[in-house]
Amino acid sequence: MKLLAFRIQNFRSIIDTGWHRLSSDNITGLIGQNESGKTSILEGLRSFYDGKISEDVLRSDLSMPEVSCLFSIDDLEIKSILNDKLLPAGVSEQIISEKAICLERIWNEDLSSRILLGGDKVIDLFAQHDKTVALKNAKMEDALSAMLEKKKEAIVAYQQAEKEQLKVETQLDDAKATMNEINKSLRGVKKAEEKKKLQKQMADAKEKVNQIKSLLHEKNLEVQELSKKVQAVSEEAKYAELNREAWHEYHAVKKELDEVFGRLTNLQRLYDHALTEKERRAIQLEMDGVNDRYMKLLKEYEQKRERAIKRRLLAYKILENTPPAAAEKEVEREQPHLDPFYSRLEAGNVIMEHIPEFVMFEDFSSLLPNRIDLEDILSGNIAVEGYKAARNFLEVAGLDEDFFRESNSRILKQKIEKLNKDLTIDFQDFWRQRIGRHNKITINFELEHYDHTHPDKSGFPYLEFWVKDRQERLYPKQRSRGVRWFLSFYLELKAAISHKDFKGKVLLIDEPGLSLHARAQEDVLKVFEHIKEKIQVIYTTHSPHLIDIRKLYRLLAVQRNIHNDENSESVVFDAKSLTSASADTLSPIYTLMGSRLSEQQFIQKKNNIILEDLTNYYYFSAFYSLLGYPSEAFFLPATDVSNVQTLVNLLMGWGLDFIVVADESPAGVKTYEDLKKSVYGNDDTRTREKVILMEGFQGVEDLFSTLDFKKFVLHRRIGIPESNSDFVNDNKLSRTLLASNFLKSVQELKITDFDEETRENIERVFQAISDRLQPAD
Amino acid sequence: MAKEEHLRKELERQRDEITRQRNEIIESIQYASLIQTSLLPPGKVFDKAFPRHFVLFIPKNIVSGDFYWLVSKGHRTYFAVADCTGHGVPGALMSILGISFLNEIVTMRDNLPANRILNLLREMVMKALHQTGDSTEALDGMDISLCIYDKGKNILQFSGANNPLYIVRQDVVIEYKPDRMPIGVSGIEEQPFTNHYIELKKNDNLYLFTDGYVDQFGGPEGKKFKFDPFRTLLLKIASLPMKEQGKILRETFEEWKGDYVQIDDILVMGINVF
Repeated sequence: MKLLAFRIQNFRSIIDTGWHRLSSDNITGLIGQNESGKTSILEGLRSFYDGKISEDVLRSDLSMPEVSCLFSIDDLEIKSILNDKLLPAGVSEQIISEKAICLERIWNEDLSSRILLGGDKVIDLFAQHDKTVALKNAKMEDALSAMLEKKKEAIVAYQQAEKEQLKVETQLDDAKATMNEINKSLRGVKKAEEKKKLQKQMADAKEKVNQIKSLLHEKNLEVQELSKKVQAVSEEAKYAELNREAWHEYHAVKKELDEVFGRLTNLQRLYDHALTEKERRAIQLEMDGVNDRYMKLLKEYEQKRERAIKRRLLAYKILENTPPAAAEKEVEREQPHLDPFYSRLEAGNVIMEHIPEFVMFEDFSSLLPNRIDLEDILSGNIAVEGYKAARNFLEVAGLDEDFFRESNSRILKQKIEKLNKDLTIDFQDFWRQRIGRHNKITINFELEHYDHTHPDKSGFPYLEFWVKDRQERLYPKQRSRGVRWFLSFYLELKAAISHKDFKGKVLLIDEPGLSLHARAQEDVLKVFEHIKEKIQVIYTTHSPHLIDIRKLYRLLAVQRNIHNDENSESVVFDAKSLTSASADTLSPIYTLMGSRLSEQQFIQKKNNIILEDLTNYYYFSAFYSLLGYPSEAFFLPATDVSNVQTLVNLLMGWGLDFIVVADESPAGVKTYEDLKKSVYGNDDTRTREKVILMEGFQGVEDLFSTLDFKKFVLHRRIGIPESNSDFVNDNKLSRTLLASNFLKSVQELKITDFDEETRENIERVFQAISDRLQPAD
Repeated sequence: MAKEEHLRKELERQRDEITRQRNEIIESIQYASLIQTSLLPPGKVFDKAFPRHFVLFIPKNIVSGDFYWLVSKGHRTYFAVADCTGHGVPGALMSILGISFLNEIVTMRDNLPANRILNLLREMVMKALHQTGDSTEALDGMDISLCIYDKGKNILQFSGANNPLYIVRQDVVIEYKPDRMPIGVSGIEEQPFTNHYIELKKNDNLYLFTDGYVDQFGGPEGKKFKFDPFRTLLLKIASLPMKEQGKILRETFEEWKGDYVQIDDILVMGINVF
C-alpha cells in the first residue's frame, strides 16, 4: 500500500488543507516561509499514524483535529486484508473501482482518537447499511411489542370472561334458591287458585334457571376458549418476553456500571487532589473496593449484553417463522454478539495494520551518540540520548542480543572489526558524495566496559562510536553537525529498508540537512531518489538545493491565507496551482532559477525563446535535441501562460532579444492579442515577427500525432479520439511529469522514430522559430 | 396414453413458443435491417457524386457486417467499403459504429488526409470498445478501404486497413496494397496508416471490395473464388457500362456459389470517374 494523498483539518494553524496528492514518484517537498504550517503537515501525518496529539495542536475554536489519508490498494489486497467479516454492499466494489482506500483519524475531546474507514461514497454505503439494519430491527421490535400487547389483551379478555362466568353462576344459584322457595310454598298450599298461581311462578322460575344454565354454558365455553387463546399467545410471546427481560437486565447492569464508573472517576479526582497521605490512603482503600465492584459488574455487563443480543436474534428468527428449536441452534452457531459486518471503525483498524509505517526523522533523537549503554539499547530505553540512532546502527549491522553474549573476547573483537569494515564499505557505497574535503569516512563502533571511574556502572558494557577519516578519529559529537546528520540519516534509511518485516515506510523529514553544505544538500536529494522505490519521502525545506527544478510537480507550497498574518490559517497549493502561491513562498524556486542563470545560461543577449510554462519547456528542449538544431536557442519557461507578458517586459527592460511561442488555446490567443496591443501597437505584422502562435494546436502535446503521443509520452495503448491536450486535461494527468519524463527518454530516440504527422508538426514550428532567430556571433 | 398425450401437447406448446420467439426475433432484425439500410448512402447521393458506378451488396443475413459509405464535402468526395468483425447482428452493430464515426470525423475535421482519417477512426473504435492491447481482450474492429477523390485536382487518396484498392487502367489491374492492420486493436502496436496519392487517368475504373466475394466456396471443386480469377473477371468486364459490370459480377457469383452456402457478406463497389 502506498500513501497517495492526505487531508488535514483543525490541526495547529490548519483549518482544512483539502485533499492533496503526493508526488507519484514518492518524493514530495513542502515549501513555504517560516510559520507557514509546513511542519504542522508533517506532524499531522505523524499523528495520523500514532494517534498522539498534545493540547498544543488544538485550535482556539476547539474544533477537534481530523487527518485523512488515501492509500493505494488492489482487489487482492482488500480481499486478503478484510477477510474476517463482511463489508456492507457496494463498499468493496467502490474501493476496488477507485483502487484506493481512505482512512480517517478523528480525535475526541480527551485527546483519544479513532480510525475510521472513510471516503464520501464509502461512508454513504455504510450509512445506507446501518439504516437498512435499523429499519429491519425497528420492524422486528414493533412486531415483538405487538406480540406482548396481544398477550396482554388476551389475558384481560380471559379475566373479564371469568368474572362474567362467576356472575352468571351467582345468578343461577339465586334462581335455583327462588325455585326451592316456590317449591316449599307449593307443598303447603291447598287452595287451587293459589296453587295454580304458585305453579305458574314455579314454571317461570324453572324457565329462568334453564335460561341461566344455558348462558352459563356459553360463558364456560367462552372462558375455555379464552384460556386456550391465552395459552397460545403466551407461547408465542415467550421469546419476546425473554428478550425484553434480558434487555431489562442488561440496562439495569449498565446503569449500575455507569454509576460505579462515575464513583471511581470521582474518587480518582479526590485522590489526585488529596492533601495528606492519610487522606490518600483512605481514598485508595475505598477506590479498591469500588474497583472490585466495577470489575465484577463489567463481567456481568458483558454476559448480560451477550445474552440480550442472543435473545433478540432468537426472537427475530422466531418472528420469521423459524421453529424455536432450530432457531436456538442457529443462534448458538452464529455468535450474534459478533456483528457479521465490519463497522467503519473495525475496518479502519484492520486496514491501519497494513499501511506503510510513518516515521518522523528527528535530528535530536536520531543523531548518533558518542556512547550508549548496551543495557539501554537492549531494554529499549527510548529516553536515553541517541537511542534511536544507536538502535538503527545495530539493525543496519544486523546485531541482536545474542551477538554480545559471545564470551570469547578475541572472537568478539574480530567480529566487531569485520562488521566495522562491512559497514564502512556499505556506507561509502551508499554515500558516494564527498563530505567536506575527505572522501573516505569510516564508521567504527567498539564494545567497552565501564571501569572503576564509574563506580555505579563498573563492569557494565557500553558501545562507543567513532567517525574516522584519513586524519582523525573523533567521536560523533566532535564531528560537524552536518556529518553527524548525514550519518544518522544514512542509518535511519538503511535500518528502515533492512528491517525484516518491512512493509513500506513514509519518512517525514523536517528541514533535512539544514546544517549541510549546499552540495551535500543536493546529495540528500540524490539519496531520496535512491530510496524512493522503497520509501516515500515527504520533507519540508527552505533550501533551493533540495528542489529539482525539472521536477516541480513534487512540490506543495504552504503559506498563511493572509500574507504576514501568523494567526491566519495555513493553505496548501499543489504543483498545478503553484502560481497562486505568494512570491515569498516560492522564493526557493526563484532562488534556484536565479542561481542557475549564470551556470546554465538561461537568458542570453539574443535568441531567447519564451515559452508558456515548464511543460512547453520540457517538450521544446526535447524537440530541439531531437532535431539536432544547429541554431542557438535558449528556451525560457514562464511559470504560466499568464506570466508570459511579465517575462517579455523583463527582457525588454534588460534590452534582451526574444521571441514568444504560444499555442492556440484561448489563453495562448489572449497572450498574443495582449502582446499585440501592449507591446506592438496593434500591428499584426510586427507581432508575428516576435510571437509565434502555433495554429491548430490547443496545447504543445498536440504537436505529437496521437500514435506518437501514446507511444512515446503516455506509454499506453488506448483509444484517444480527442486531442492529446484534451486527453491529458480530461484525465487530470500531470502535464509537467509527462513532459519531464519525455525529455529524459529523448536521448534514446531519433526524429525518424516519430511518424510523419509528428515530424511535420515539429518541423513546422521549429521552422517558424528558425526564421526569427538571429545568426550566432 | 394420457402421459403420451400430455407429452405431445407439451412439445407442441414448446414448438409454438419457439416459432413465436423466432418470428419476433426475425421481425426485430428486419426492422434493424431497415435502419442499417437507411444509414447507407442513398442511390441519389451516389449518382450525384459518381454517375457511373455500381454497388453489389449481398448480405449473408438480414443485417450485414459489411457497409459502404460516401460523403461529399466541397470538391472532395469521401467513400469507403468496410468489413466489420463477424456478420449478422454483431457485425451490423459494429458497422453502425463505423458509419457514425466516419460521419463524425468528416464533419468535425476538415481536409484530413485518408490515412489520418483511418488513424482517428481506429482511436475512436479503440476507445468505444475499451481496447488497451491487453492480450485477453477481443480483437473486434473492421477492415476498410477509404478513398478521397478531389474532383478539382483529379487526385485520389487511398488508405487501406487490410483491404486493397484495384484500379483497372488500360487492360491492367493496378493493386494499391493496404496496411496489414485493422481498425481496432491487434497483436502489434498501432502504426500510422499509409496514404497513397494517385493521379487518375481517363477511363480508370476503381474497385473497392470486401473479402466475401473472393472467399466464397463453389465451382466444380468447391474451392474459394480467390483473387486472381477476380482480377481476371474485372479486366474482362472493365470496358462495359458500370451497371452491367455489377450485373455480371452478381451472376458470376451466383453461378460460382451454386448450392454452396454463402459464407460471408458480399460487397463490391465499382466507380468510373470520367
